[in-house]
Amino acid sequence: MKQVGFYQGCCFQGPDAHMFDMLKKVFADLGVDIKLVERTTCCGGNTIDEANKFLVYSINARNIALAEAEGLDLLVSCNTCYMVLAKTKHALDNDPQLREEINKLLAEEGLEYKGTAKIWHILPYLVEEVGVDTIRKKVKRPLKGWKVATYYGCHIKYPKEVAVVDSENPSGLEELVEALGAEPVKDYEGKDACCGYHAYYTNKPVALKKVVRAPEGAKKAGAEMLVTPCPLCFKAQDIYQDMVENAPRVPSVYLPELLAYALGYDPKEAGLAYHIIPVDKVTVNAPASS
Amino acid sequence: MAEKAVLRIYRYNPEVDQNPFYREYEVPLDEVQTLLDALFFVQERLDPTLSFRFFCRAAVCGSCAVKVNGVSRLACKTRFRDLVEASGGRPITVEPLNFLKPVKDLVVDHDAAFENLKTLKTWCEPKEPIPEREYRIPPEEVKKYERPTNCILCFACYGNCEAVMDDPKYAGPFAFSRVYRYAVDSRVKDEHKREMVKNALEAGDVWSCVQCQKCIYVCPKGVRPAEDIQNVRGIAAEMGFRDYPGVRKLQHFVDWVYATGQINRLALPEEVYGVDPTPLINKFREKGAEVWEVPKPLPGLLEFRDLILEVMKEKKPHLDIDFHHVRRIDKRVEEVFKADVCTRITEKFEEQKSDFFSRFWKKLGEFFGAS
Repeated sequence: MKQVGFYQGCCFQGPDAHMFDMLKKVFADLGVDIKLVERTTCCGGNTIDEANKFLVYSINARNIALAEAEGLDLLVSCNTCYMVLAKTKHALDNDPQLREEINKLLAEEGLEYKGTAKIWHILPYLVEEVGVDTIRKKVKRPLKGWKVATYYGCHIKYPKEVAVVDSENPSGLEELVEALGAEPVKDYEGKDACCGYHAYYTNKPVALKKVVRAPEGAKKAGAEMLVTPCPLCFKAQDIYQDMVENAPRVPSVYLPELLAYALGYDPKEAGLAYHIIPVDKVTVNAPASS
Repeated sequence: MAEKAVLRIYRYNPEVDQNPFYREYEVPLDEVQTLLDALFFVQERLDPTLSFRFFCRAAVCGSCAVKVNGVSRLACKTRFRDLVEASGGRPITVEPLNFLKPVKDLVVDHDAAFENLKTLKTWCEPKEPIPEREYRIPPEEVKKYERPTNCILCFACYGNCEAVMDDPKYAGPFAFSRVYRYAVDSRVKDEHKREMVKNALEAGDVWSCVQCQKCIYVCPKGVRPAEDIQNVRGIAAEMGFRDYPGVRKLQHFVDWVYATGQINRLALPEEVYGVDPTPLINKFREKGAEVWEVPKPLPGLLEFRDLILEVMKEKKPHLDIDFHHVRRIDKRVEEVFKADVCTRITEKFEEQKSDFFSRFWKKLGEFFGAS
């Protein structure tokens, strides 16, 4: 089985601890062993940058170095973690002085940032490394008739030097949604709008205006739900949408959850049973043909 | 036959048109280089009533920014053929920049955004005494504001800004790049820096930025406003402007990451807004989800803490760790996991201890067995 290092960040805590087990099982089903890279820490959430950019480079050089010490690439499931790690890699790979300075600090723990590990986001990993056809063949419960709006989120599109998709015409999600048997809804108003997650604790009214923009557009375009490869966009659309009066209440689904369900997992195993905005399409006893 | 592409251009003359409309024009590819050339082609050959703004034609003056297929671009710096290739045969839509008052067609009125910028007072009020000869600026200092200095006030970032979209008070990404630029300039006197930063917070609403990074993507001059904004926020906290949700969020990140290696998303509502997270936690519990109220401390935590302290010793942060808060977090972790952050060490000790005892019993057994 193909092995890849996995960076968990802060995504699988609070009510979301189950999501890691699900992710691990889904990837195992697809022939990939995701090995949790131990001792890795929070990337700083694109927030610690406000206090000290050098600290962000240091802790993420350490995160990457831990994967490199095991000879693994680093797979990341969160858009923001991905961006912060990739920005660090970009900075260290292009600035030998910065790299040397940081490696001096890492040496104390016996670590070294070498720049050998590739930083993967799950979306391109699924499309390029696992392959859409492999995924299609594993589907046991085709999502026939589901109309799913694709929502990429910002931090895998911008800035350009770390983008994993075409920033203005992203692709990959539609192919995956199609492979699961569902119908992707690609063009809708608000597809490029920010999900509001990162503004919730800096300016709540602004965040809550943002939160409903993509769900509203998706609904108008006839979608029954949104799918996103980012657990933070997912949380914003699930938890914060519930806080907005007259919100369209379009359910949002984290991409691996949708995969899990199509691969035949029950709604609890897939994580779909724990949404604040219920995913109506999911039925507890939906048959999974084999 | 010459290869052609279709431009779909926004047209609106408030003096005669009731509503804006779009008109399509065919432009031959081999007669134009840039999008600006294409606009000239339309104006000179097809429709002299089309208005757009331009001046230097060399990405220096910042006049010709327009919205192309939804994205702000300088018309003079945009290769027409690239647009044609990216649009895959569909018409290329050209519109005026978002969020600025339309004047006619692609021409917008920049005044409101300029006025916003002026209220921030982003200029140099020199430190006293003013030297008799020129100021000497070391290269390391220039490095800090080299990039924001490249801003040409084209308003591309403004037109694609998520914060401008939802906060009419928000001064715009470019404005905060300027605040940052003067806030780290050694020639500017401290009182003026403080005033500028205060303006960024109050008149400019710098905490409304959502960090989507679109401004970095669209800037034709390589300015990185989203990152400059992070610096302005940090500098503001350091100057003592702390009574903002964003500063409490930052403090949460700094303290929790130091204490546990992670943030605690369930503690954020309380620490930032004083909101009890229990109702939300209950919602998840009712659905049968397992909820961790405190993230599990990570192995390797003590080494990680050392790294943070080492880094902070070398590069002073804009916001220090609040060790009183860290001790409260430690206590909480101890309560939940019935172990302290040194658990790993304890575990190791237990291992060695059990190892010692097993060897002891084995030796004892051997002794009695032998006798």
